[in-house]
Amino acid sequence: MSETRAITVVRPPRTWTSIGGGSVRVSDVLRVVVLVGGALACLVPLMWMFLGSFKSPTELAQRPPSFLPESWAPDNYIEALSRFNFVQYLTNSAIVTMAATALTLAINAMAAYALAKYNFRGKTFLFLLTLATIMIPLQVILIPVYQVVASLGLVDTLWGLIIPAAATPTGVFLLRQYMLSIPDELIEAARVDGSGEFRTFVQIVLPLCKPALAVVAIFSVMWRWSDFLWPLVIAQSESVYTLPVALARFNAELTVPFNLILAMGMVSTIPVLIIFLIFQRQIATGIANTGIK
Amino acid sequence: MTTASTTTARPRRSRWTGGGWGIKIAPYLFLVPNMAIFAVFTIYPAFNGFNMSLYESNNGRTFRWVGLENYGRILTDVEFWNVARNTAVFAVGFVVLSTLIALVIAALVNAQRRGKTFFRAVFFIPVLVSPVVVGLIWNWMLERQNGLVNTGLGWLGTPPVPWLVNGTWAMVAIILVGMWMQVGFYMLILLAGLQSIDPALYEAARMDGANWWQQFRVITVPLLQPSIVVVVVLGTIHGFQSFDFIWTLTGGGPVGATTLMVQYIYENGFQSPIRYGVATAGGVLLFIAVFTLTIINWLISRRREAV
Repeated sequence: MSETRAITVVRPPRTWTSIGGGSVRVSDVLRVVVLVGGALACLVPLMWMFLGSFKSPTELAQRPPSFLPESWAPDNYIEALSRFNFVQYLTNSAIVTMAATALTLAINAMAAYALAKYNFRGKTFLFLLTLATIMIPLQVILIPVYQVVASLGLVDTLWGLIIPAAATPTGVFLLRQYMLSIPDELIEAARVDGSGEFRTFVQIVLPLCKPALAVVAIFSVMWRWSDFLWPLVIAQSESVYTLPVALARFNAELTVPFNLILAMGMVSTIPVLIIFLIFQRQIATGIANTGIK
Repeated sequence: MTTASTTTARPRRSRWTGGGWGIKIAPYLFLVPNMAIFAVFTIYPAFNGFNMSLYESNNGRTFRWVGLENYGRILTDVEFWNVARNTAVFAVGFVVLSTLIALVIAALVNAQRRGKTFFRAVFFIPVLVSPVVVGLIWNWMLERQNGLVNTGLGWLGTPPVPWLVNGTWAMVAIILVGMWMQVGFYMLILLAGLQSIDPALYEAARMDGANWWQQFRVITVPLLQPSIVVVVVLGTIHGFQSFDFIWTLTGGGPVGATTLMVQYIYENGFQSPIRYGVATAGGVLLFIAVFTLTIINWLISRRREAV
């Protein structure tokens, strides 16, 4: 739908260029029009949610829909925060996101360092094994993983949300590729100076890997913040709900007014948007690298 | 004692502080945490999945050996075939449409002299939104009577479309929304591929009088092939695993018209009546399907490269 709308808008501009006297090429104008149409298709739903999050239930039910809200007072936000354990879900989401990201960074970086800078028996095998697990997403092994987590007593705990997916194969892969570019001389020099293996890793290797660590961290944060299926399975009582789980459950119950759901949706969207605006470049290069190499 | 170098053998140092033992044991210690989590939460469950699919349980605690009965049950289950068909239709529609649109957008953004970064960012924004929220917004926007989309279509004189009410339209809706959500990600991969193509090639083609379409077909598509393969492979994996946005967009309805495989697994495994064996067997079948398709994708791309 969104794209066909962009294409139907395409035809009229021809007349503009004929007025312009040939200085602007038709193809350039067409391209910009299509791109702007596509950009609108991307942004309109989010702006609509933003506007809707300030509307009252009667305004939302209005027909045809009203464009701007009657007041910009954040009533929906305040009500959502006070009427439900919204702060709790927000905290849970934040804890899971940060703890999982910290864990992922720590264990992925250590594994990547071993695979990049040491020679040992079974190295190739372990590296290939890691890569192969990219093919086994959680959705496919949902029930067996749940069984493991249940037998460890981690169901309905935040740990159950944090640990199982922490060892990301893509993180190991990305960090290893980056560490390969660190000169061996640097590590050897540290050894000669009497630095232990772990200290070399922490004080010399990690600071050099900041760009790659940033990429892994950003992706981990974005993915954990939005993750849904696994939290839905693990978070069974309200005290463990993350934001997406709470949103989906409230939406299904139909007892929570939609204006409040929109406000909560906005709150869950804003943090990732901010992160994206700050780290845009790292995200683009990160995707280009993991996607292709 | 081996040197720590992975690339070239270099003269051995006379003295390693910490001793050779430290260097020999260190890599294993570094690997332990990551590999332990891998082993417990990915590798063991992956193998155990095959094993579990041979048992039946209705509570997740007591298991009864049933052999291949689960597969027999699932393959004669009308709902399973419905779900399998939905998943195939969705995955094909999603992959084909997303790849094409991502290719078009990437080409257009790449041709843009000004505002490249701006457009790249804007097209990526939907990727960031939590899929649950994506489903919620689109469910609201595709509402039949009062949704933004049908209101907009009304201005153009189109009668309201029964997006989420009619089974076929609901399938169209989840394909389009899935595309809306992911296309920016694929676009970014393709854009990176496009930017690595030498502009001199286009220059030369233009001097030989090749038009836009000829340049696209003869230079862009062949040189972009590796990136396109990555997008198709990722898209196939994403398509077959789609669950979260559909859960809040259609809930799998109307009447199961948009229930896909992951939802089938989730519902059999966690919603009563619980059919653990069927859910695990479904997971195994989904794995086999995705695995086979990924291999086929690579093989096709290999052969094309060889020609």
